Parts: sequence; structure tokens; C-alpha cells
Amino acid sequence: MSSILVFCSVQDGRIKRSSLEAMSRAREVASEAGLSLSAAILGSESGNLSSEAMSYGAEQVFTVSNPVLDSHLNAPALSALESIIREASPRMMVAASTESVKDILGALAIRCDAAVLPDVATFEMSGNQVACQRPVMAAKKLASTSSAHPLVFVSVRSGSYEASRSPVSGTVTDVPFSFDDATLRQALREVVTTASDTVDLSEARVVVSAGRGVRDESGRALVQELADITGAAIGASRAVVETGLFPATAQIGQTGKVVSPDLYFAVGISGAVQHTAGMANSRIIVAINKDADAPIFDIATYGLVGDCFTILPLLNAALKEAKD
Amino acid sequence: MKFCVCIKQVPDVQAAVQTGRMVLNAYDASAVEEALVLNAENGDPVDLVLVGPSTATETIRKALAMGATDATHLVAEDGGEADSHSIAALLASHFEGHEYDVILTGKQSQDSDAGLAGAMLAERLSLPYATNAVGLAVEGNKLVVTRQGDSGQEIIALETPCLVTCSNDMNNPRIPALKGIMAAKRKQIATEHVAAPSARTAHSGTVDPPGREPGIKLEGEPEDIVADLVRRLDTEAGVL
Amino acid sequence: MEEKFDCIIVGGGIAGLSAAMTLAKANARFLLIERGEFCGAKNVSGGVLWGSDLARLVPEYWEEDGGFERFVSHRRLTFMDEQSAFSVDFKSDHFKETPYTGVTVLRAVFDEWLAGKVQEAIDASAHPDESFLATDILVEEVVQEDGRVTGIRAGDEVFHADCVIIAEGVNNLLTRQIELEKEYVPGDHVAVGVKEVLKLDEARLADRFQLNGRSGLTNEFVGACSEGVEGGGFLYTNKDSISLGLVLGMNDLRDKGKTPYDVLNSFKEHPVVADMIRDAETVEYSAHVVSTGDIKGMPSEIYADGVMIAGEAAHLLLNAGKAIQGMDYAMRSGILAAETVVEAKKANDFSSRMLGNYRKALESSYVLQDMKSFQQAVHLLHRQEMFSTVPNLICDFGRQFFTIDGKPTPKASAMMRAAIKRHASYWDLVKLGLKGAKAL
Ligand SMILES: Cc1cc2nc3c(=O)[nH]c(=O)nc-3n(C[C@H](O)[C@H](O)[C@H](O)COP(=O)(O)OP(=O)(O)OC[C@H]3O[C@@H](n4cnc5c(N)ncnc54)[C@H](O)[C@@H]3O)c2cc1C
Ligand SMILES: Cc1cc2nc3c(=O)[nH]c(=O)nc-3n(C[C@H](O)[C@H](O)[C@H](O)COP(=O)(O)OP(=O)(O)OC[C@H]3O[C@@H](n4cnc5c(N)ncnc54)[C@H](O)[C@@H]3O)c2cc1C
Ligand SMILES: Nc1ncnc2c1ncn2[C@@H]1O[C@H](COP(=O)(O)O)[C@@H](O)[C@H]1O
Repeated sequence: MSSILVFCSVQDGRIKRSSLEAMSRAREVASEAGLSLSAAILGSESGNLSSEAMSYGAEQVFTVSNPVLDSHLNAPALSALESIIREASPRMMVAASTESVKDILGALAIRCDAAVLPDVATFEMSGNQVACQRPVMAAKKLASTSSAHPLVFVSVRSGSYEASRSPVSGTVTDVPFSFDDATLRQALREVVTTASDTVDLSEARVVVSAGRGVRDESGRALVQELADITGAAIGASRAVVETGLFPATAQIGQTGKVVSPDLYFAVGISGAVQHTAGMANSRIIVAINKDADAPIFDIATYGLVGDCFTILPLLNAALKEAKD
Repeated sequence: MKFCVCIKQVPDVQAAVQTGRMVLNAYDASAVEEALVLNAENGDPVDLVLVGPSTATETIRKALAMGATDATHLVAEDGGEADSHSIAALLASHFEGHEYDVILTGKQSQDSDAGLAGAMLAERLSLPYATNAVGLAVEGNKLVVTRQGDSGQEIIALETPCLVTCSNDMNNPRIPALKGIMAAKRKQIATEHVAAPSARTAHSGTVDPPGREPGIKLEGEPEDIVADLVRRLDTEAGVL
Repeated sequence: MEEKFDCIIVGGGIAGLSAAMTLAKANARFLLIERGEFCGAKNVSGGVLWGSDLARLVPEYWEEDGGFERFVSHRRLTFMDEQSAFSVDFKSDHFKETPYTGVTVLRAVFDEWLAGKVQEAIDASAHPDESFLATDILVEEVVQEDGRVTGIRAGDEVFHADCVIIAEGVNNLLTRQIELEKEYVPGDHVAVGVKEVLKLDEARLADRFQLNGRSGLTNEFVGACSEGVEGGGFLYTNKDSISLGLVLGMNDLRDKGKTPYDVLNSFKEHPVVADMIRDAETVEYSAHVVSTGDIKGMPSEIYADGVMIAGEAAHLLLNAGKAIQGMDYAMRSGILAAETVVEAKKANDFSSRMLGNYRKALESSYVLQDMKSFQQAVHLLHRQEMFSTVPNLICDFGRQFFTIDGKPTPKASAMMRAAIKRHASYWDLVKLGLKGAKAL
């Protein structure tokens, strides 16, 4: 029986939630289409994560464990996935739309002769086609795109589906893999991270996002305090990342990350389409902006018109009180 | 180093009303800018290639006006059906006849947000590549790429020839000066008619995304609106 | 590479592009510089281009899509009080014939379309590589040598030409820089225009406004549209959208402490307007200064050695109540300035004596003739009565005239007397009426 293969991204020894979301959807699609569900996990810890993949319904888990796969380089990851795809020969490969997946999807499609539906909001099988809806034009439109190619890769925007368990007892196949380091024409020099880089924005249920209105260190402290009180991850607009006040990893939007938390605070963010492209699917959006005509208010559930340097201290105090 | 930048003409996504106005893909503009900066001292060429209808000449001129050296226009009149796959195939055959140290593309198209053509092209040309670059530096015959990864910035050295896809977070592209605009207009653009190979995906139209429920704007004394918000977050929204 | 152009045009609005088209057709070598990212990027008009000069620049433009939204075949002037509207309405098939005498346009589309036509004309001219349309560049200075204008400076680039046409629009900083206009333009010579574009499905739009094919409606409003602020409103139909806006006195707005945005919102909520824009979605909001058309606002002179001022930079505009004419004046003045360049080039004389022919041509055209003969109407329009008493009175009369309520109906003249009694004194009204008759 042919399968849907879910490529699981791993961070800090866990399968990323966005991968589990994609896997949960893939499970539904597979069962409707009479396909089996399998998973692919790369890296030296891949073996330990097989059971987690099975608890989300993977009947077969393909692993490749080789230290070179922990190196952030795309060439080994490409070869490893290629080996798994040759072994599993799935109908479809589904992955979360993370940066490392985006890094390899195009090249892998050429190598495995696949079609790609990237960064989708929904996907399904209909007849012999894989069909999806994906945001285009900085998420101002939803496009319907499909492919009848024999092998289709789909990458899924985080937050598009709920992650839900459905345990099965599956099998693990360790796919043989050797990689000749001498063929590498690339070398990782360094990974530069800051403390906040380790928080996965796309997994956070609450995001506090800062814009250019949060102009300085004191503004950053207020945002940090709000994030601490609400247990939020910190996001940022491009304009404020440019000032150096927040790390680039925090950038949300067309160039940055896509988030869809339950609660999103947009502090001092104007609401340019390229920013809203990354957060418009948040369930509740609270906007704080001193300009009553700022476009962010068009999508905000609650819009507070005022200076964030006045509002945030009050809000932080009120939320603290409400929590106690 | 000898650079070639793949540039695309896209609709102006920022415009409130779509008037059919076309612009240079912002990510590609950043790629052009970066190549110009890297070659500013040594005078090595920064060439361009674009696949698109004949009306896309305007976009090529815009990038030439920034200071690029030469441009090739692969004229595909009906590009409506093309996807990243077909574009990468066309670009690959162009590069088979041209030697470059570095090929740059944008990290994605502003209109389709696909983000595939760069890596597809690299694979077709068997080049080492890096995506989502936010910084480039030349070191001997290596290109050192700073790319924005999932958690932090990865610094990767690529052997040339190589391909890199560029983020607009890399720089702010220059606005062409008058002299550049005039010089660009006098440049010959090599044109070649091509037919796009068939796409692997099909597009069946767009719809407006589901609209959000209209929200509530709270205006007034800061104390009052904050109290109101906290109450609503608790009782209405249930997120506290 | 020092090149000297026949002419440099500052501003790619209507005046600048009209001048450029004229120059391209005359095989002149010119440089047009526009500061917007593209021509039309930030330009605002209510949206009716009156007259038929466009057909002179682009013959048979109506065969093309970009050149206009709708041609005007239905005109309406509406007096409003809080609840009512009394309209003078004229519709005629006569207006269907080309060349049209009025078309609605959206500037972001129209200006860019016209720029494209100019580029085509350059390509077809004798010097396709020696004339340029350059956007995204701000002219910071008009360069003068020995008291005559010789070029422009943008950033650190200087370019020279035999003459410069300044077509920079109403915020005429360069005109002031060369001291043809006083540093501070009095507030009563300028107004604030605010405008929204509201999207409405083409079929519904046609049904709602009884449009047929590309025919369109223009509606001006006087009275309760402006919350007591001096000014008036407009509604114009485009292909699949409505342009709705107000022109409001700058000083009066300030005196009454209102923002144009608030006034526009209350205009949109007026029951009469609300019915016209129901379900239409606002897709664009813009605000722009606009000249009141007071001749006293004009520069002290519109030409000097090596320079001419065209369009609204020269405060060429007429707003005498029945329409705003700024774009057609910009077009005609741009054409006339360019024609003067062509003449001057033949004579190789760009002195102020020669360029004075531009003024002469404007004087004998409808532009300056109409501006002069309708000055009184312009002033009358700014009187408090015109946006309060008069529309109230007219609506009051209308309400009586059109009410049938089972009581004996008075004669119309008695109704009029009653309405006047409630809103104004006879004597003031007679004076106003006489003024009006003289002004129009
Ligand atoms: C191709 C492309 C991709 C892009 N990708 C992204 C992306 O991924 N993410 C992204 O964010 N942007 C992106 N941008 C940039 C985007 O267009 C905007 O420029 C950016 O989002 C603006 O950030 P901002 O809202 O913080 O700044 P601004 O637009 O400057 O807005 C600042 C806001 O803060 C308000 N403010 C100021 N002071 C205060 C105060 N004291 N209290 C309260 N409010 C205050 C102001 O009223 C204003 O609304 C992209 C652009 C391009 C061209
Ligand atoms: C709300 C509103 C409604 C209106 N309705 C109508 C109407 O219905 N009908 C009508 O005929 N008129 C109308 N007008 C008036 C009309 O818009 C103007 O009179 C007309 O646009 C003037 O044309 P112009 O070419 O002189 O100036 P503009 O259209 O203002 O063009 C000037 C150009 O010069 C550029 N520029 C300025 N300075 C520089 C510089 N230093 N360097 C480079 N470029 C520069 C500007 O970016 C601009 O593109 C309306 C105006 C407003 C505000
Ligand atoms: N028609 C085209 N001509 C030249 N380059 C293109 C074209 N389409 C895409 N590209 C390049 O591929 C990048 C985007 O890839 P994608 O998002 O897959 O369309 C762009 O930033 C360009 O560098």
C-alpha cells in the first residue's frame, strides 16, 4: 500500500509541534484515501523519537541517523531524505513549513522528480490529485493549486491544523546511509543564537510582538514583562528588527515566521501586509497603537488606541493582578 | 566574482487596489544590491536574467539602473501557467551556456511566495547552495553566507560556483539615480524567445481569505481601556 | 557625460505628462522627473477630467482600457440638509459622443497609463534614447546661473537644460524657491481635499446608478455634507468603484476644530449618501491640498528666464460650484508650456521675453479667461450662506413641495416664502441671488 510520508522536524530532542500538526492532517488524508501513514526522522537522535511519531499514527518510521545530519547543512539532509523516499516510495511527502524544510524542498523535488505545493494552509487528496489552498499576494488572497504528479511534496504552514494523538504500534526502519564528507562543497562555520532564539515562536500559544513603536530599551523591557506575565514568546516586525532591538529570528511576516497563536499582542505595529501575512490567523489579536487609523486595527479583535509606553505598564499591572 | 541575479517581475502586492502595476520582486532587488556592493571595488560583472513577457523589460531596466552590467530577457509571452519548476528548468538551460561564480535568486516570489525556484535551479546545475541569506561575504574563492535558520543564524561557507537565495532582510536596495536610469535605457538587452516547459502544479483561481469578525476599538482613558481589555480577554475571549 | 536637454520637466502629474507628450511628439530631447515611485503614486483627484484635450494627446484614447474609468453622461448637483437632498439633475445621450467632454479617472492608474503613452511617443520620436521619464527621484533645487534657470539638482546630480517646466503641483516649493511665489501661501487660497475609493461590483454599480456600458455619473453636494465647514462633496462613478470625497476650507476646518477624516465619515453616514455607497468597501483613503482657484493665489508670474510654471503649481484651477477643474487646466497649461518650448527652440531664445508667449497663450485660452470671469462665483462659494442657509432653504422648500398629507396645499410661492422666513432674511437672499446671477 502506498503511503503518505511525514518528514518530522526535530528541535531540542523533540518533534516540532508544527510537524505533529502536519502529521495529524496527513493521517486524516491518508485514511480517507486508503493510504498508510509513515514518518521520516533524521539526525543522531532519530531513533528515540520513533515512538512519538507512532503515537500520532505513523505505522512505519524511517530513520537515518548520522552525525553529519546534525550539521545544519542541506546536502546531507537532501541525500538522507532522498534515500528514505526511494525506500518508502510514498504518494506524497508532507512536512511543516520550517526554514530547514524550505531549505531543501526545491532541490529534493528535482532529485526525486516530485511536484511541490509549498506553504499550504489546507490540503487534501481528491481523486488522483493533491489539492491545496495556499496564501499568495502577501496572504491577501488564497489560491487553489493542485498537482496530479505521481509524487507530491506538501509543506504546511504552522497552526493550520490541530495536533492530535492517535497511537499505533508501528515498525521502525533504519535506512542505510553513508555520506562522504569529501564531497561536501559547503561547511558550517557557526550558528549564532541569542537566548530568545531557542523559543519556537510557531509553537507559542501567546505571542507578544513588538514594532517600531517600541522604540527603545525601555519599550523592550515593557514588552518582555508582558511576555513574562502571559507566558508568551516574543515576536517582532521587520522595522524593529532592523533597529537591532530584537533578533531576526523573532521576525513575523512574509519574510519571517508564520504564527497563529490563541492570543497575539501587536505593540506599536502598523500592520503592513507583509507583517499581517504572518499573523492574521491568530485567534485573538490585541493591537496597541497610538494611531487610530493604523491598518492593524482592521484585523484586531481588540484595538487599543494609545501610547504603548502608557498602556503597557497599566496592562502589565492589570494582568498580573488578574492572574493572582 | 562574476555574479548573475535571476530577477522576476511581480504585481505590486502592497498596493491597496490592484491596478496591474508590475514591479521588481523585492527579494531579487536585495540580491542585485548585494551583488553590486560585493563587486563595487573589483568591477566584476553583475548580470541579470529574467523570464517573462516582453512588457517585463521595464523591470529589467529598473535593475540595470541600479548598476547591473548586462541583462538577458528570456521572453515567454504566456507565463500564466508557469510554476517554480518550469522557471527553474528555463533558467537552468540559460546557465548551461554561461559561466558564473555565483548565481543569486530571491528567496521567494512576492506574489506566489513559493520559495522553490532557487534550490531547484541549484539542484539542476548541481551547485552547492544556501537559502534565505541575510548576509554575503567573499573570502578567496569561497562565498560566506549568513542565513536565517529556524533558531539563529547559520554561517556557511560555499565553494564557488554556487547559488544563494536572498532575503530582503539582507540590505535596503538602492534607488536608481538619474545617471543610472539614463545609462540603463541605452543598454542592449539580449532577448531570446522561449516556451515554458510544462508546470507540475495547476492553478485554479484565487479567493479572498476568510474575513475576520470585525473587532472592537477601545478609545478613551488608558486606565479604562486597559480594564476593559482585561475584562474582555477574560470573559469574552477566554484567553486568560 | 554632460548632456544638456531641451527641457527638464519637474513633476509627472497631469501637467508634466501633458508637457512631455507634447515635447515627445515634437522630437524634443527632454527629461521628466517624478518623485513618486511611479507616476500617479500619490496623486489625488476627485476624478473627473473635463474637456477634450486628452484626445489631442492620445487620439482615440477611449479605445483603450487604461485611459479612463467612465465617461460622464449624467450630472447632478445636490443640496442637502440633515435629512433631505434636493437635486438638479441632467442626463443626456449627447454626452455619449466621442471625444467625450468629461471622463472619470483614478490617478494611480491614469497617470501611469499616460506615462506609458509618453514612453511610446518617446520611442517613436527622432531621439528615442535621449528623452527620459525618471521616477522615484526628488528634485531638490532649481539651478540658476546669472539670474536665469539652467537646470535642476536631485541629490548630488545636476542636469542642465535650455529651460525647465515646473509642474510640481499645488505644494509648489520650487516655484517659491525661485521666488515666483511668496514663501507662505495664505490659508484661504488652499483647501483640503479628502477622498475614498469604495469598491463595488461592476454590475451592482451599473444598476444602482443607472449606468450603461462605460457611462458614468458625477454628483456634487452642497450643504449638510460638510458639517458646517466651508466646502462641498463629490461622488463619481468609476468602472467598479466609487470616488467619494470632500473639499474643505483649510482655515474654516481649523477654526471649527474638525479633522477632514471626521467630516468625511459623517458625510458617508448622511442617509442620502449612505444609500449610494451601501455595501461598497473602502479600499483607499487619501488627502491632498487643493487650490481654491482664487486668482490671488497665483504666482506673481508664471514664467521667467529659462522657466515656466504649469498646472496647479501655478494655482490654475477653477471651482465655481458645478465642478472642480484642475486636471484639464493642468493638461492645457502643460501643453501650452511645451508648445512654447518648441517655439523657443526654433528661435533658440529661452529668455523670459520669449517664454512670455506661454502666458499669452494661457490668457487667450479658456483657462485664464474662465478663471477671471468666474472669480466672483469662487468667492461666493466660500460664503457661509452657500453651505448652510441656501441648501437648508432649498431642502425645506423641497420637503413642502413634495409632501402630500391630506391638508390643503399652499402654492409654491407661499412655500418658498415660508422657507425663506425660517432660514434667512429676504433682503440677504436677494443680495445673494443678484451676486449669484452676476457671478455665473
Ligand atoms: C518583500 C517584503 C517583505 C517584508 N517582510 C516583512 C516581515 O516578514 N515582517 C514584517 O514585520 N515586515 C515585513 N516587511 C516590512 C513591512 O512592509 C513594514 O515595513 C513593517 O512591517 C513595518 O513595521 P512596523 O509596523 O513595526 O513599523 P511602522 O510601519 O513604522 O509602524 C510603527 C507603528 O507604531 C506606532 N507607534 C509609534 N509609536 C508608538 C507608541 N509610543 N505607542 C503605540 N504605538 C506607536 C505607529 O503609529 C505605527 O503604526 C516586508 C517588506 C517587504 C517589501
Ligand atoms: C480631493 C480632490 C479632488 C479633486 N477633484 C478634481 C476633479 O474632479 N477634477 C479636476 O479636474 N481636478 C480635481 N482636483 C484637482 C486636481 O487633482 C489637480 O488640480 C491636478 O492634479 C493638478 O495637476 P498637476 O499636474 O498640476 O499637479 P499634480 O497632479 O499634483 O502633480 C504634481 C506632480 O509633481 C510631483 N512633484 C512635486 N514636487 C516634485 C519634486 N520636487 N520633484 C519631483 N517631482 C515632484 C508630484 O509627485 C506629482 O506627481 C481635485 C483635487 C483634490 C485634492
Ligand atoms: N520568471 C522569472 N525569471 C527569473 N527569475 C525568476 C523568475 N521566477 C522566479 N525567479 C527567481 O526565483 C525566485 C523565487 O522563486 P519562487 O518563489 O519559487 O518563484 C525569485 O526571487 C527569482 O530570483
